[in-house]
Amino acid sequence: MTGVGADSAAVRVRGLWKRFGQQVAVAGIDLELPAGKFIGLVGPNGAGKTTTLSMVTGLLRPDQGTVEVVGHDVWRDPVAVKARIGVLPEGLRLFERLSGRELLSYSGRLRGLPGAEVDRRATQLLDVLDLAGAQHKLVVDYSTGMRKKIGLATALLHNPEVLFLDEPFEGVDPVSAQTIRGVLERYTASGATVVFSSHVMELVESLCDWVAVMAAGRIRAQGTLAEVRGEAPTLQRAFLELVGAQSRDTASDLDWLGGGPR
Amino acid sequence: MSTGAHTDPAVGTFPITPVVVRLKLSLLRNGLRQSGGRRAAYVASAVVALLFAALQLTGFVALRGHAHIASVSVLAAAVLALGWAVMPLFFPSGDETLDPTRLVMLPLRPRPLVRALLTASLVGIGPLFTVLLLVGCVVSVAHGAAAYVVAVPALALALLVCVALARAVAAANIRLLTSRKGRDLAVLSGLVIAIGAQLVNFGMQRLGSAGLAQLEPAREVLQWVPPASAVGAVDAASRGSYGIAVAQLALTAAALAALLGVWARSLTRLMTSPDASTLQPADTAVRERSRSAGLTRLLPAGRTGTVMERGLRYVWRDPKTKAAWVTSLAIGLIVPVFNALQGTGSPYFACFAAGMLGIQMYNQFGQDTSAFWMVALTISSPRDAYVELRGRALALLLITLPYATLVTVVTTALLDDWARLPEVLGLSFALLGAMLATGAWTSARFPYSIPQEGFKNVAPGQTGLAWISIFGGMVAAALLCSPVIALLIWANVSAGGASLTWLLLPVGAAYGAAITFLGLRLAAPRTAVRLPEILTAVSKG
Repeated sequence: MTGVGADSAAVRVRGLWKRFGQQVAVAGIDLELPAGKFIGLVGPNGAGKTTTLSMVTGLLRPDQGTVEVVGHDVWRDPVAVKARIGVLPEGLRLFERLSGRELLSYSGRLRGLPGAEVDRRATQLLDVLDLAGAQHKLVVDYSTGMRKKIGLATALLHNPEVLFLDEPFEGVDPVSAQTIRGVLERYTASGATVVFSSHVMELVESLCDWVAVMAAGRIRAQGTLAEVRGEAPTLQRAFLELVGAQSRDTASDLDWLGGGPR
Repeated sequence: MSTGAHTDPAVGTFPITPVVVRLKLSLLRNGLRQSGGRRAAYVASAVVALLFAALQLTGFVALRGHAHIASVSVLAAAVLALGWAVMPLFFPSGDETLDPTRLVMLPLRPRPLVRALLTASLVGIGPLFTVLLLVGCVVSVAHGAAAYVVAVPALALALLVCVALARAVAAANIRLLTSRKGRDLAVLSGLVIAIGAQLVNFGMQRLGSAGLAQLEPAREVLQWVPPASAVGAVDAASRGSYGIAVAQLALTAAALAALLGVWARSLTRLMTSPDASTLQPADTAVRERSRSAGLTRLLPAGRTGTVMERGLRYVWRDPKTKAAWVTSLAIGLIVPVFNALQGTGSPYFACFAAGMLGIQMYNQFGQDTSAFWMVALTISSPRDAYVELRGRALALLLITLPYATLVTVVTTALLDDWARLPEVLGLSFALLGAMLATGAWTSARFPYSIPQEGFKNVAPGQTGLAWISIFGGMVAAALLCSPVIALLIWANVSAGGASLTWLLLPVGAAYGAAITFLGLRLAAPRTAVRLPEILTAVSKG
């Protein structure tokens, strides 16, 4: 890994706050994400994962707090940060009236890469992500899985040190999910950092070596997978205990549901 | 599966018509409940439609006995039917009850479903408007008891044919209409309606000068085309040609039956075959590639060319952007040229082209929608923002500069006022520069989001911003132009100034270029520091 010292954290967040009107989306979180790891940010819907990732990547201005990515402050030193990160946001569009290849070419050139190099990398990415057949189709006509894949390709094109992915597997079919997984595993194996958010615990458990659990705008736990899981048999269990979800007894309700007379 | 245990809920035997009609009423009510603005818009459009229909009705009644009233009535019925046929293509999402793909999961048979949907279609302002208009058509031609007897079934048949026509067209095209291409088409429909209105206007003027007798040949044909044939039947009965009247009524009824048949068949097909709209042939690949390669070669390298290329592609590919451009191009041409043709023009009207096209520079980032994040992530200094804005301005100039020049030359040629060409061109260029400058600055300072669906160009709650952005910007642009305007007035009124008006061309062009440069320079640092705020503003809605 280049440019990162021994103590290095890929991302260091201090006292980060964000309010939308009355609602507190992120309530003063501190995070230290180690470099070179596959990191999962998990939490239920509305926990503040997207808001946090938006602030960390410089797409949303925090009310308070500091964010450092590979040692550079996101808001004071955008030149250093923006060149080193790749982002796949959730709920934001792409330039969908471009074809997949045009989108990659646009994004790469916008980042100042030479045209020939952009074309070379785009061809490889399209190939690996199984998009070569659809490369001349407009992104607006892509399926969800294809969109996530082309979004991932644009995020990877400039070979970033840290990759931020917001719900990269949401609504993605198993085949595309496996492809995305393979690319990400190869990427982290080379020493780069992946930070991704998800609410699917099995996925996080099978992919990540480092986990941060978020609920109601706060970090409930962070550490290696084993640390966060603790005594619980699965991450799912540990997570439910952390966020304080009670398993409701449904035996008495819905007694009419099932086989037998209608 | 143990089917024996299920109590069969009498598939297809219970009356579904009242259910569907109630569903339609609830959807209507809930749609109105969503916002006060929507309710106001609905009430206003209802009042306007009914007023219009009432006026039409009185007009038809007043014209009873006019020599050519039958032609007018038959033509009106035909135009009405045409409207019903085209409507679903432009407003595909207008009626949820009538989208049969939403009913796929219900155990319904096509025949009762068609009956229920047809009845539900009769609820609303559209059918009421149609009834009023048809009553007008029928009453205007009905003379004598026999004619009135024919009028009753004629009216019902004509109305049903209109409604069934709309439903049949919608059902036959529902796959297209709910696809991306169909939605793109709908965004452009406003333009088609505007151009159609121009044509109607033109036709009316010709009729006004040449008289209604011109309509006779149209009636000869249309009175045999349902549902206008129903009006034709009433007319025939009035004149005692009962045989023709019956034939025309029968023709209308046959058309209704045929339409219902087509509709039922497309419903059956829709409800039993899988949706193939997501499967698309990969056939356009080769063409796309060759075109884009050509475009790239001509543009400068680096960020400038990249930004220009995407901007130009979007003019053609993005329906909202395309509609805005076509409107600007059309109005920018029509106003000066039509005025010149009618002899009321002035060469200065040619500045309209520059002004209309300059508007495209406004709200640049709103045109990106939330995809602006891709731009935001690549801007890390005022220099990046400057190059980004300059690229967008250059893409705009690539179309605007030749177009404004062309419009100016054509207008001057039509008016044969060549002496004013240099000064008008100079003023156009200065105005264009001022629009680009203010457009860049307001793009950074007052961005707002443009909803991608539907006809709205401003997201709810941002109307104020849009007004500040566009009208504030235009006033500012006019003020920025004032030195050139002052110079122009001076050259025209002062003794000996007339020989110097040619100087306004280089002066105006230089002024426009300088002020564009200045505007981009001022807008760039604002853009660079406000990236998250701009992204939030353009991601709404």
